[in-house]
Amino acid sequence: MWGFYLKGLFESLPFFLKGLWMTVAVSGLSLVVGTIIGFIWGIIRVSRIRFLRTIIGAWVDVIRGTPFLVQIFIVFFILPELGIHLEAFPAAVIALTNLAACFICEIVAGGILAVPHGQKEAAKASGLSGFHQMTRVILPQAMRIILPPLVGQYVLLIKDSSVVSAIGVTDVIRAGWLTVQRIPEGLMVFGLVGILYFVICYPLIRVSNTLERRMTVAATRL
Amino acid sequence: MIKFSKVNKWFGDLHVLRDVDLHVSLGEVMVVCGPSGSGKSTLIRCINRLEEIQQGELVVDNMKVHDRTVNMTELRAEIGFVFQQFNLYPHMTALENVTLAPIKVRKMPKAEAEKLGRQILERVGLGNKADAHPAQLSGGQQQRVAIARGLCMRPKIMLFDEPTSALDPEMIKEVLDVMRDLAREGMTMIVVTHEMGFAKEVCHRIVFMDEGQIVEVSSPNDFFIQPRTDRAKMFLSKVLVH
Repeated sequence: MWGFYLKGLFESLPFFLKGLWMTVAVSGLSLVVGTIIGFIWGIIRVSRIRFLRTIIGAWVDVIRGTPFLVQIFIVFFILPELGIHLEAFPAAVIALTNLAACFICEIVAGGILAVPHGQKEAAKASGLSGFHQMTRVILPQAMRIILPPLVGQYVLLIKDSSVVSAIGVTDVIRAGWLTVQRIPEGLMVFGLVGILYFVICYPLIRVSNTLERRMTVAATRL
Repeated sequence: MIKFSKVNKWFGDLHVLRDVDLHVSLGEVMVVCGPSGSGKSTLIRCINRLEEIQQGELVVDNMKVHDRTVNMTELRAEIGFVFQQFNLYPHMTALENVTLAPIKVRKMPKAEAEKLGRQILERVGLGNKADAHPAQLSGGQQQRVAIARGLCMRPKIMLFDEPTSALDPEMIKEVLDVMRDLAREGMTMIVVTHEMGFAKEVCHRIVFMDEGQIVEVSSPNDFFIQPRTDRAKMFLSKVLVH
């Protein structure tokens, strides 16, 4: 029996790889855009623009405090009632981008706050503009603190992307669900699904660990 | 050059500057001393608006610092500031530390800024440390790089906020020597310090502060030999003993 299923699974491999591609596309796109938005939000979060700061803070709390499944349902099922119709793929990317931006915003804000205040004062006192204070002095130092948890967050978000299968995006998870209906060997099918996620995530975990080690060494040297 | 008129500042309930009147002219070297918490640091931090004043007028190089609509970036470029804790940028070399502001603020071409940076590092005795990172330098060397960073902007005023207080005793001299040279060259300087030897030898006037007020402004000779107020006498008896 196993041999038969294995053959069936092997034949479904192209289907799984398509699913894998979808997972990579959804999470890759969301992570890139989410990182950019997350940095902007994170910088505003520690700025003196009180109005925006409060709004972003509240938004981040709401998103972090609600299940991603609910968020994605809202984007896909509730927005159309307000006249915003989205295909499954863009809906998935929007919801995941927003989630990524919220988590990254907190990481970035934390990293910036960890840079000693004297650095900002020195930059300010030398006449640098707010933009240059941030890009030349604060962010390069904050990056040491931001990078390891940021890459760790990427791993979590890639795994969170599995939720997009709930609105019919055929990612690896949904490929698994569809296949298991033909090949009723759940362990084997979802074992393969797990392996495919692991293949994407493991290198990132290694990168995160290496960064963590290197940053700690760099920090102790200072 | 710098004029405080009836300046007041509070940190919450704490009245840190009380009716401060002070005039510093071009080329003058002024030392500010007094017990800790007397508002010395706050006083000079107001000059480039690292702290904002709440009352009174403060005019620096014809710019109204007390006016919140005035953009400080331009004025800050003209004022070098040296911190007690150096605050060098740890991710940059000494040369990058001193050339950052000339390149970004003065829009100086990189090659020219580096040439100037090396000259000025040479002048503070660190010509051979241009490519070292702050972590590789001693405290005294770091503080001299910090002074060079200020000088690289060719400032009209240099402010020093307890520049030697974080240094080991054997490194204090190398920093004071640089400052002494600077004073002889006619730089307008305000120095918050407990180094009374430096004050005696170098400065033109001494400001003595206590509890946010300027208690006494005198020449170093008068101040050390015959202080006018009891508070100054008490302060001097404490700092001059050791």
